[in-house]
Amino acid sequence: MSALQPTTVRAEPVQAVTPLPAAPTLPSQLDPESREWLRSLRAEGADHDDAVLRLHALLLRAARFEVARRRHSLPHVRGDDFDDIALQAADDALVSVLARLDSFRGASRFTTWAYKFALLEAAVKLRKRAWQGREIPLEAEGWNLFSSATLEPDDEVEQSELLETVRSAIDEVLTPHQRRVLVAVALNGVPIDVLAERLSTTRGALYKTLHDARRKLRKHLDNCGLSLESSTETR
Amino acid sequence: MERGDLSQTLGLLLGPPEREVGCDACFEALDRYVELEVSGQDPDFVVPGLRAHLEGCPACREEHESLHALVSGEEIL
Repeated sequence: MSALQPTTVRAEPVQAVTPLPAAPTLPSQLDPESREWLRSLRAEGADHDDAVLRLHALLLRAARFEVARRRHSLPHVRGDDFDDIALQAADDALVSVLARLDSFRGASRFTTWAYKFALLEAAVKLRKRAWQGREIPLEAEGWNLFSSATLEPDDEVEQSELLETVRSAIDEVLTPHQRRVLVAVALNGVPIDVLAERLSTTRGALYKTLHDARRKLRKHLDNCGLSLESSTETR
Repeated sequence: MERGDLSQTLGLLLGPPEREVGCDACFEALDRYVELEVSGQDPDFVVPGLRAHLEGCPACREEHESLHALVSGEEIL
């Protein structure tokens, strides 16, 4: 089960979209604090109950942290609703963490490992809330912006040629599904987990589609003799 | 649209040139990656392909930024 789609859609396993060299091995020993978390969460009775309460408080803190970082992007949402989102994220993260205790190998501190579940749950809920009731744009609305782009004269010819080639390649080289995913995520700014839910698929599977589409475009541009690295930035 | 916006959009359309992990593998390794970053070690040697994925995936990048901020204590609740 993938933590990226914890509640609604069963995940398809996507470990790597391109082959990678083997990573160095994990540390072999847990730090004392992490060991104590595991011991108490696996215990029975009051010890276990107390550990679960402490874990929930930790997850709620992380979920509130994420909500505080993102709430400016949701001006129409009331304060009470943010509290509910954080609480629900902590609840869902608690379920995920407890279900995955045996997969914790001590590659980080237990608290860092647990935090990421709460941050994920809160981030996904906030993105879905931001797109609630909105139609997902699957067509290339953003191309209109390019036509009014203000570029330096030296850049204009190169950029225009590259853009036109990318635009043509999206229409000619990609499959309809690849085109929809690429346009929605990369051009129209639709969050990948929101799109995954609307298309009844998973975030991992959708990213694989996005990755394959990008590789096709890069290969096409390379075949056209266009230089890419001086023209792009991903942040 | 300024050059930076245009370049950024092209970057999003074309993705990172390097080999990268997927979203599931990114989530799997994210806690380790962030702790290596915060402690000043080289996370890209230990977790190859994750940095490229963060460049190509806005959602994973957001979650990485949040975990990094939370763990390093850069922000206060």
